[in-house]
Amino acid sequence: MRAAWIVYRKELVEILRDRRTLMAIGLSALATPIVLSIISQVSTKTATQAYTIGYSGEIPAGLDVLLTSVGLKLEQVDDPAAAAKQQVDLGIAFEPSQIDEYYDPARQSAQIADTRLQTVLGQYDAAKAAAALQEKGVDPGILTPLKVVAHPLSSPVKAAENAFLSFFLPYILITMILTGGFSAALDSTAGERERRTLESLLMTPAPRSRVLLGKIGAVTTISLVAAVVAIGSMLVALSQISLPGSGGAAHISLNAVAVPVMVWVALLLAVGFSSLTLALGTLARSFRQGQAYVTPLYFITIFPASIILFIPDFNPSLAYYLIPVLNAVLVLRDAIVHNSVAWPALIVTTISLAGTGLLSWFATLRLFTREALLTRS
Amino acid sequence: MTEAAVTVDRLRKTLGKNEVLRGISFVAGKGEIFGLLGPNGAGKTTTLRTICTLLAPDAGSINVLGFDTRSAPQDVRRRVGVVTAEIGVYPRLSARENITYFAQLSEVADGDLRRRVDAVIERLDMSSFARQRAESLSSGQKQKVAIARAIVHDPPVLMFDEPTSNLDVLASKEIRDFMVESKGRGKCVIFSTHVLHDAERLCDRVTIIHKGQVVAGGTPAEVRGDRRDLEDAFLQLVES
Repeated sequence: MRAAWIVYRKELVEILRDRRTLMAIGLSALATPIVLSIISQVSTKTATQAYTIGYSGEIPAGLDVLLTSVGLKLEQVDDPAAAAKQQVDLGIAFEPSQIDEYYDPARQSAQIADTRLQTVLGQYDAAKAAAALQEKGVDPGILTPLKVVAHPLSSPVKAAENAFLSFFLPYILITMILTGGFSAALDSTAGERERRTLESLLMTPAPRSRVLLGKIGAVTTISLVAAVVAIGSMLVALSQISLPGSGGAAHISLNAVAVPVMVWVALLLAVGFSSLTLALGTLARSFRQGQAYVTPLYFITIFPASIILFIPDFNPSLAYYLIPVLNAVLVLRDAIVHNSVAWPALIVTTISLAGTGLLSWFATLRLFTREALLTRS
Repeated sequence: MTEAAVTVDRLRKTLGKNEVLRGISFVAGKGEIFGLLGPNGAGKTTTLRTICTLLAPDAGSINVLGFDTRSAPQDVRRRVGVVTAEIGVYPRLSARENITYFAQLSEVADGDLRRRVDAVIERLDMSSFARQRAESLSSGQKQKVAIARAIVHDPPVLMFDEPTSNLDVLASKEIRDFMVESKGRGKCVIFSTHVLHDAERLCDRVTIIHKGQVVAGGTPAEVRGDRRDLEDAFLQLVES
């Protein structure tokens, strides 16, 4: 194992002196807080922004006050339908017995104005009906014969936070583990070949399996460092800013159960990705060719992270946890959302990811010991 | 001939569809410079790569100081140092770090490491740039790093594969001097080149290979025969 340790130390020194890798880690540390800060500002602005309703006809008494209170400005126009196309966010024609609403669903501002309008109109209708009943001496309570009292089993604010984290955290974890070690893996395989140091390295008495082990160890370490830096900066940013659904003043934080699960999954992913990128780098004759081989891997692996975005309530059978990367995303989501560890799922995930890592390791070793590795160049 | 250090016996090797070596045999002895001569593509580099176990023979055998390259590749690698024309060094490591790395991988004991690295740096007159990153070194300085890492574990067999092809006159002379010095220290030096003038001056014995086969062997004088010089002899042999 001495040879593996020697290679590991040398690779780390080289990686830490490589501007490309350091910049990738530094940018990832900065990028996440910046993106989250922009999301926060945009969402806050959207929530507080006033929208304009272009109207014609007589506004029912009191409705103008209600509309203004929810940030809907009223502006009289001749043709509400025409105005709703561009001039205002939403058009309303007040008729004696109905309200005609005009809006373009393709515009987000129109959608938000519509939601606010519907809420206000609902409240207005209910208040009007209650006043009419009261005038006739009837209890307005008959309008709500079945009163619903909600008892949420967990904090809705926390649930919204967890939903946000369950998507973002696996996404950043996978992205950073892959991209953090990307440059280092290619540099220590395709780069070694390109620089013509590979032959000299393989001429030493060090067994190739140990050389490879040292390289995998170094790439895994740097991948984990990149992921830790990115997630750390994300959590710090989340503790400072508010995001939509976080209840305004509340700040998002990671629960205690999710942390060890995340560390364990990150380790398994990092070993697997390192072996895989080293294998692809070994196939390449140059750094540039290596980039062409590894880039598709990013899209293939990032796809499972998106599944949580599109199907938030995806509750798969245990067999789904055999699919690498998807299983990591699901296990992390379970830990974040339910604040508990589903042990069978975690065990299956561990077996799957460790197996994938082992297969990649054997594939890389096979490539690394082939004569073609030298003669192809 | 002195006592055998490297024995190549009926070596055959095919790379892809190209039969590069077609039954090559020669013996290189201790304390001599053995020239492996031939035009480009003759099979010189493939022969050296097979001797240092980077490639496995398809047929035939290679014995290095009693160790067979097939059955004891690690023992062979411990006893061989190789310098090639392609000077690959780790650019982000200093010259000293490059040498230390290879010394460690060549199993130089920790207690002896510093002394060995210092000795090699001094011997090759590298002190002025030893702490400089390899990316900022000249070709000649990089070649010295390549030599240093090949000899830092003090191997009894040294192989030089076209070592001067990318170097200027001064740097080339230093390499030639180093080979002579190594011979004087009892090393077996195998020198692969197509610069026949160098071979004639330096080598005790030579083998000329062409199209993967040995076409002549012996001392430079024996190979030259009644021809003007080794180059004339070489051209006649190759053209015939």
